[in-house]
Amino acid sequence: MTTGAITARPVPPSASALVWLTTTDHKRIGVMYAVAAFGFFMVGGVLALLMRAELAQPGLQVMSVESYDQSFTIHGTIMMLLFGTPMVAAFSNYLVPLQVGAADMVFPRLNALSFWLFLSGGIIVLSGYLTQSGPADIGWTGYAPLNEPTFSSSTGTDLWIVGLALTGVASIMGAVNFVATILTRRAPGMSMFRMPMFCWGILVTSLLILFAFPAITAALAMLLLDRRFGASFFVPTEGGDPILWQHLFWFFGHPEVYILALPFFGILSEVIPVFSRKPLFGYRAMALAMILIGFLSMSVWAHHMFTTGVISLPFFSITSFLIAVPTGVKFFNWIFTMIGGKLWFPAPMLWSVGFLFTFLFGGITGVLVASAPIDFQFQDTYFVVAHLHNVLVGGSVFAMWAGITFWFPKVTGRRLNEPLAKTHFWLWTIGFVVTFLPQYQLGASGMPRRYADYPAEAGWTQLNLISTVGAFLIAASVVVFLVAVVEAMRRAPDAGPDPWEGNSLEWWAGSPPPHHNFRSLPPIRSERPVFDARVAARAGVAASAVTADVEGPGPVPGAHP
Amino acid sequence: MRPTRGRGIGGGPLRAGASLAVGCVASALVVGGCLPAAATAEGRQIGSLYGIFVAIASGVFLLVYALATFAIIRYRVLRRRDAGEPRQVEGNDVIEAIWTAIPLLIVGGLFVGTLAVLSRTEARAATPAAEIHVRGFRWGWSFSYPNEGVEVSGLGIPGPEVVVPIGRPIRFAITSDDVIHSFYVPQFLFKRDVLPGRQNVFDVTVEEAGTYHGQCAEFCGVGHSAMPFTVRAVPPDEYGAWLASERAAGGSTPPVSPGATFLPVGSP
Repeated sequence: MTTGAITARPVPPSASALVWLTTTDHKRIGVMYAVAAFGFFMVGGVLALLMRAELAQPGLQVMSVESYDQSFTIHGTIMMLLFGTPMVAAFSNYLVPLQVGAADMVFPRLNALSFWLFLSGGIIVLSGYLTQSGPADIGWTGYAPLNEPTFSSSTGTDLWIVGLALTGVASIMGAVNFVATILTRRAPGMSMFRMPMFCWGILVTSLLILFAFPAITAALAMLLLDRRFGASFFVPTEGGDPILWQHLFWFFGHPEVYILALPFFGILSEVIPVFSRKPLFGYRAMALAMILIGFLSMSVWAHHMFTTGVISLPFFSITSFLIAVPTGVKFFNWIFTMIGGKLWFPAPMLWSVGFLFTFLFGGITGVLVASAPIDFQFQDTYFVVAHLHNVLVGGSVFAMWAGITFWFPKVTGRRLNEPLAKTHFWLWTIGFVVTFLPQYQLGASGMPRRYADYPAEAGWTQLNLISTVGAFLIAASVVVFLVAVVEAMRRAPDAGPDPWEGNSLEWWAGSPPPHHNFRSLPPIRSERPVFDARVAARAGVAASAVTADVEGPGPVPGAHP
Repeated sequence: MRPTRGRGIGGGPLRAGASLAVGCVASALVVGGCLPAAATAEGRQIGSLYGIFVAIASGVFLLVYALATFAIIRYRVLRRRDAGEPRQVEGNDVIEAIWTAIPLLIVGGLFVGTLAVLSRTEARAATPAAEIHVRGFRWGWSFSYPNEGVEVSGLGIPGPEVVVPIGRPIRFAITSDDVIHSFYVPQFLFKRDVLPGRQNVFDVTVEEAGTYHGQCAEFCGVGHSAMPFTVRAVPPDEYGAWLASERAAGGSTPPVSPGATFLPVGSP
């Protein structure tokens, strides 16, 4: 990728490896996060296909029980921490400085350090595959005391601990950077309530990271002490407590789910108004709902522990129920943004509308499992597997695709081929429904998760086979997406700065934006400065001010003094 | 404000989307509704609560799907640049307050129902008809009747069979020898974790005589999918007879020989 002729600064014009390795540019770091996260996503996806292939029929055909256990451990770890979280970092790195009208993050070097720590951590986790006993095999939740050396002695588990600790530190550094950038680098005129909703999502997410990730970092450190230095934090026979691990893990793990949700809610709140040609319905309520979801998400962690018998069931039920209220507010606001608009359905909008239809189901099944007695049946079954994938794949990943197809022209200067992008959407959506809906019924009828095998007489074979077929449809759709990307990159850039008639400041900059982003900014009088400028231009007012910054030099608001 | 009609971008996909949406609702309603028939009094309460949740959820589901589908069909336009912008509505405090308040009332109601059922599942009988101590271990189960001097245990598949009387509360006190397991009988609509170093206690009243499949539900290592057990619920007199015959046979059935252990045959 090249920034082309639009930069007049002393940056090497070509994209040599050294430029990427040493960059502190938020846009390059964002792209590196996206590429690395996508690479991990492919690995996690292959593991998912292997597991689905194994489960298609009773008996063991594809892999051993040991490999199966390693596969779901690494699949979950990758998808949550090496794909989901860094994909959030990819979007936020690329977009936050652009959307607030800044030249870069507040701490560009810290930003680069975050990325390289994350990548190193991820590689360390996967390097378990190079050891004799294979990678970690204790589930991505790594419950004690199964995580103790008595039961999981493999080096892969130690590598898992160290790698995740590094990625956690990377996330914390990133969060500090985003909070600082959002609070201090907003362009003149951009009050908090004129920020794009995506930035609200990243602000709340970053605060959640600052509260949640230290808990997992501490838990991992304690576990390493247990395993390598004979401590006994989680060893019941030596006075330790395995339930302590669950509290620490989920005190991180549940906010983590919202760390993987709020930024994507933000993306939807950017995409839907643009393709409805209306402002976001109830902007303040949307920002407030994000803050409220953030607060509540810190108080629901033990709903993952309803069946342990050692927590307050009513408290964690009611807090979990309450999250449905601000989430419902967001839903209605999105729909009412569309109502009365002029809707247009290129790929990003298709993904957004698809999100509304698929995520709703995950949200509603979330209310079911929030009720402790109902969860007694569903905990640790495929119902929960279906629910969590429904929320994360049917929700966050749908919104991720909306974001990728929406900002692809901004990042690369090229539009994706629409028929290919739509094929990707329909294949993925059908694959998603076929994969995950049957898993609800599997769970309701009692199939536990993390079973490498199940008896033929259990009656689970047909639904498992259907689910496996769906997984391969999803895989096929990803191939279509990759073809679309390659096809686009072989063309000359043609998207222009604002192919969708966007609302927020990134559409004011070139595609891709030049180093340090802006030479001029439009006046910021609402949360849609570029929309306002376009309306003003159409009205013939201040027409001369409405030129994209690629035209010539100007002041660089928000740049380093 | 009238949307432009006609052969549009995504007209076909959108119609397909609408039918997909209808298909989703239908399958959701079917799929969500299929719990096993509960065999215990507590399970029946959980099942009824689930029924109420699913009914309300279906209503919410249909409402949101209908609204979203309406918005898509009614407000789509043929081209990006048809004349002018739509009316720029930024919000409406009244309807926003309504769609905050109504969900709040709904979850409040769901919480009351949850409390009612919890008060039953977490209740302890003063005098249970049987008290069974359960030990989970990698990879099998042991069930002992401390007041009767009887113990049943077994490794791997098919696992041990525990016999319980129907019609009166029975008490399970569960603990683990090694890692966390979970005692799960799908037809009880209930599970509880089997923890090392702690004892969990719960009561159930089995109402239907029958044989119920049980299994471990918390990942515990390579034998996780191969540590089932069976609960056979019988009338009280038959239960008494079974206890007597077990005592006569020496009070305890030995673990199944390692020849029948957990690892599924044919691992590659």
